[in-house]
Amino acid sequence: MSSALSRSLCRVLTRHRATISSCRALFLRFRAEPKKKKKVDPRRELVLRERMKKKLKKLEKVPPEFIPVEDLITPAKYLDETRERSAPRLSFEESERRALLLKEWCRYKKNQHMAEVEAVELALEAQREALEELKLESEELYQAALKPDPLLFPFTHEGPAYTPANTKYYAPDGKYNDITKVYTQ
Amino acid sequence: MNPVFRKLQAVNQVLTLCRATPCIQRPVWDSVDKRQYKSMPTHGIGRWRHFIPKEPPKKKKDKHQMKPILAATDTAYGSLSVRVSGHDMTLVEHYSQYIHNLCNRLGIKVAESYALPTKTTEVMLMQEQGTKMFVEAVLKTHQRVVQLSSLDATLCPLFMGVVLKNQPEGVRLSVKEHTEADFHSRFKGRPELEGLMAQINQ
Repeated sequence: MSSALSRSLCRVLTRHRATISSCRALFLRFRAEPKKKKKVDPRRELVLRERMKKKLKKLEKVPPEFIPVEDLITPAKYLDETRERSAPRLSFEESERRALLLKEWCRYKKNQHMAEVEAVELALEAQREALEELKLESEELYQAALKPDPLLFPFTHEGPAYTPANTKYYAPDGKYNDITKVYTQ
Repeated sequence: MNPVFRKLQAVNQVLTLCRATPCIQRPVWDSVDKRQYKSMPTHGIGRWRHFIPKEPPKKKKDKHQMKPILAATDTAYGSLSVRVSGHDMTLVEHYSQYIHNLCNRLGIKVAESYALPTKTTEVMLMQEQGTKMFVEAVLKTHQRVVQLSSLDATLCPLFMGVVLKNQPEGVRLSVKEHTEADFHSRFKGRPELEGLMAQINQ
């Protein structure tokens, strides 16, 4: 009964161009019934949660994939068999000269490598002898010498350059944009 | 009773007769259970499967397991990653291979050696007349990582010295501790999984 009355009042008010919010407020005030608690709500939440957990389990079963490295993939245009460069024809003297040059280079690099290996071995031996002597001198210093250096890492070093940096270089204005492709699974 | 005794006597006589004449056709065995073919000297002559080392059964779905990260001890550093990066791919690759070979020679244990995804950078410069930017060049930075499981503190200065002496130009060397975050950065991002986790935790 009260609801019917409030509804009629509402209609009257709308006819007089009242706002919807005031009408609704009036309606609620006139209802005077306690709000019904929806019994389905907690169950619905639980069902939703279970569904999400099932989805999560399914997604977690799939193992993560590595981001593909472009360097290790041959571009398609190099797999084309029609483009081919034939080897140049060399004279006998030229091929002989090249082979002998290769052998010289081999010998040079081998000597270089041997020298490096020998230097490394000498350094290792010297270090071992020094540590032995230190052990005889004092045990404390020996233990301190064996400890790793915590301040060493992280360590960065740029490669050497052919020429030193130009002090009077005027760099043009510009900016760098990172356009690496972002992969998602 | 008497006929029973007489029968027994007769049976005894028969048995003694049997034992006297030896049987040639069937050989006498110790027990009925012993099988003669397993005691032959050539038994199992063709077996070869037991020589091959046993492999564990291969799983089809190989989840990429992270190698254990060791912590620093009193005499050695923990897991380190030596990252080589530069614009010239051949130099970067050859340098990383050199480092790997050096570790093998010095006895340093190498956990993994892999390549990180290439980073592409677009260099944009201002135009001479006007305020527009135009694309000047596209630079690619290649990265290779040599992951060491542990490094002795005594070998460290020697290793660093040799590595720095042979560093080619244009190649940047960076040595730092290896973390789980580094390992996970190699994988593709999973926004759906993360979204679901966030929703469930809400």
